[in-house]
Amino acid sequence: MSLWRDLYHGDTRFDFFGLRRRWFAASGMIVAVSLLALVFLRLDLGVDFSGGTLIEFGNTNGVSVAEVRAVVDGSGVGSSKVQQVGGTGIRVQTAQLSLVDEDRLVSSLADLLGEDPADATRQSVGPTFGGQVTESAVRALIVFLLVIAVYMSWRLEWKMAGAALVALGNDLIFTAGIYAVVGFEVTPATVIAILTILGYSLYDTVVVFDKIQENVQERGDRHTYGAIVNMSMNQVLMRSINTSLVTLLPIGSLLFVGSYLLGATTLREFALALFIGVATGTYSSIFLAAPLLGMWKEREDHWIKVRHRLERRGVAEEFAPHELVGAHAETAAAVVAASGAAPRPPKNRKRRR
Amino acid sequence: MSRRGAFITLTATLVIVFGLLALTQLTGTTPRLGLDLQGGFSVVLEAPAGTDPDVLDQAVEIMRRRIEALGDVQEPEISVVGDRTVEVQLPGVTDRERALAAVGTTGQLEFRPVLAVSPIPGLSPVFLNVEVPDDGSTTTTTTVAGATTTAATTTSVAGTTSTTEAGGTTTTTTAPPVDPWEGVILPEGVTRCDIVDQPGCLDPVSGLTRVTVPGLEAFLATDFATGGGIAYHTGPARVLGSDLKGAQAQFQGSATGAITGQWIVVLDFTEEGGAKFAAVTAELAGFAPGDPRRQFAIVLDGTVQSAPSVANDVSPETGISGGSAVITLGGSDDQESAASNLSVVLRYGSLPVAFEQSSVESISATLGSESLRAGLIAGLGGLLLVAVAMILYYRALGLINVIGLSVFGSLMMVIFSALGAWQGVTLTLAGVAGVIVAVGITADSYVVYYERIKEEVHGGRSLRSAVDHAFTRAIRTILTADTVSFAGAVLLFFLAIGSVKGFALALLIATMCDLFVAVFFTRPAVALLAQTRLGDGGRFSIRGATGLPTEGKQ
Repeated sequence: MSLWRDLYHGDTRFDFFGLRRRWFAASGMIVAVSLLALVFLRLDLGVDFSGGTLIEFGNTNGVSVAEVRAVVDGSGVGSSKVQQVGGTGIRVQTAQLSLVDEDRLVSSLADLLGEDPADATRQSVGPTFGGQVTESAVRALIVFLLVIAVYMSWRLEWKMAGAALVALGNDLIFTAGIYAVVGFEVTPATVIAILTILGYSLYDTVVVFDKIQENVQERGDRHTYGAIVNMSMNQVLMRSINTSLVTLLPIGSLLFVGSYLLGATTLREFALALFIGVATGTYSSIFLAAPLLGMWKEREDHWIKVRHRLERRGVAEEFAPHELVGAHAETAAAVVAASGAAPRPPKNRKRRR
Repeated sequence: MSRRGAFITLTATLVIVFGLLALTQLTGTTPRLGLDLQGGFSVVLEAPAGTDPDVLDQAVEIMRRRIEALGDVQEPEISVVGDRTVEVQLPGVTDRERALAAVGTTGQLEFRPVLAVSPIPGLSPVFLNVEVPDDGSTTTTTTVAGATTTAATTTSVAGTTSTTEAGGTTTTTTAPPVDPWEGVILPEGVTRCDIVDQPGCLDPVSGLTRVTVPGLEAFLATDFATGGGIAYHTGPARVLGSDLKGAQAQFQGSATGAITGQWIVVLDFTEEGGAKFAAVTAELAGFAPGDPRRQFAIVLDGTVQSAPSVANDVSPETGISGGSAVITLGGSDDQESAASNLSVVLRYGSLPVAFEQSSVESISATLGSESLRAGLIAGLGGLLLVAVAMILYYRALGLINVIGLSVFGSLMMVIFSALGAWQGVTLTLAGVAGVIVAVGITADSYVVYYERIKEEVHGGRSLRSAVDHAFTRAIRTILTADTVSFAGAVLLFFLAIGSVKGFALALLIATMCDLFVAVFFTRPAVALLAQTRLGDGGRFSIRGATGLPTEGKQ
């Protein structure tokens, strides 16, 4: 039976919980590298945050970046950044210019590129507005996290909320770290994307935890918490992969179309952050949030007792028979209990009817 | 879910959703596109910290009126965001300078004592402020005075028949050899714009102040466009708009035995403003009744709106004290509109806020439409990929998913069209991104449900019972997960500003649509499908997707 078939049928037996130290080490390393990158390399903030003037033109005549730079430098606007964007586009970024200077630069660029000055996309930002957008977003974020923590504590349990938030932190730091390492520009689109990642990461974690909670309710303390985590993870693995794939498909299409076909920069910036975020969001809910929760719960008196009891009976395995759900769970569990809680091999059970 | 119930629910959902879509298409309602998708002009203005929110709202109101005066703007969007930021979006505007002027300049309201009134309509009093030379050339002065006087009579005659706008100009040109500025004494600090161009300077042609400076004397006129055009020489501003708390037009009845009632405007000053007003009216009351200097001019943006004189019974010792005052206009019907206009000017004319333009952005229409095209292509491409993946995974169930996504898409289209038409909500690029993300969330609801079906079937349930049972289980998960998305979207919508808001709204609507589709489409559709041949037979069926052989074959 191939891995694919196992995956497809939810029959995989990956030991997510048992290998937790490995995942924690990996996550820890990623977070450390990201933090270092953030401290030493810094984020490249776009004009919306740092203030400045940005002029964007189509470049249908294919004028080279060097020529544009020469014109920009010649106009005496001080330090500037000239970039090719998308397929056919030129972006010039300078310190904030006065309206007059800006108009002058726009018309000289229009002359050079053979474009209509009215076709320019321009933006002039004082240094404070971007800060306000970010500030409001951060405030919204904090309130959001609080509300979600309360909701998850009520709907699931507070340790789940804690583990979900840790996973979330991991995703945010990692995404920011990639931006710092690669030197992508941070724009308002990035802020939005990060907020999405946040929602997505939580969403994914909630689905996983919901399954864990359900399994705990159904099988109670016939297994160690770690075993239940493992079982739940393997059950939802296919869903996680499917969902991530299905989410990544439109985002990937956005990324591809946005950056290579049409040169819509906002779309590209957005898609990039999302792509990274969704990928890490899936990773963190499987490899970080769930094992963390398992570890945390295993320290509870109740689950320590369960583990001791099962260990005395020699059945405290990291796996539980995970295919038995629904109406048959009770009888199946009884069978399992009678047979010393030995996990049934999935193949056997399949032909069981 | 019974077969009948499922069938009715499914049909009703499809009819309602696609019916609404057809309705929007027939009425030509499409989502309103944001600035970044259709091009236009946007300014973000920032008021100083600690500005009163009411004041911001007033500022927005004035800007709206000014922008409407621009004429060529289709559906401007002006909103207060955060606690001290005003965002102005003008779709389709290409004239940057005019748009900036409309929103950027603050309307400055001033109360200035009148020093002199020009006897000649349209002639700036500055030209009468002529030094009388001692060297015997009195004739020159008289000729000047004579010329202007005769010219004035002609102007006023001409004024009744033709335009009076260039009144000042014609006056001066009727006596070509005489320079109207000859011998004119300018008040301290006031210059001629053609000699020293500085704030408060006088226009070389009209002799009026172009931009008033509160601390300087000014030569101002009532609005030329409305005919009239009485010109005043005024002192420095004594009371500013920010000293005024409110103004209200009222009809005062004839309680005191007068024959008719009168329209009045009641002014309400701040504590400081009241003191200033009392001081200035006390000074003015020192002039004899009938003296033009008993008047004070109410000036908005350099135009005299009204110049009431201080009532005869006001004591020169105290002035008009008590923090409020009444301007009496008269009893006739046209005084009613005059009173309400004046109160509006007094109330809203002044922005005691100096806005700073913190972001000015213009997006070319080409780029806007290109972004829209990219967004659409990406969206459709993404949907297609999702459809292919879902059919590969879930076979017949995948087909339901594809139809479900089109139901979802139609619903979003309808909602955004309706919101655009009724609420003026625009769909921005960030919103499009939100929708694309929502496609992922919607697809996930299917995945959760379908994986559940697989599990239940593996657990040994019959297909029909598995489908039902899986839904009750899956909807729990979907609800929990959607609540998280929903809460996030709501909070972002209310707390965040700028493009984040548009994103949040799209996500919010999409999450609700997701639940709607799951309950009213997916559930009955899958329930029905489970009872057909596509449910239980062959590799393409639901059972085929679960990887278990058909019940019959066992």
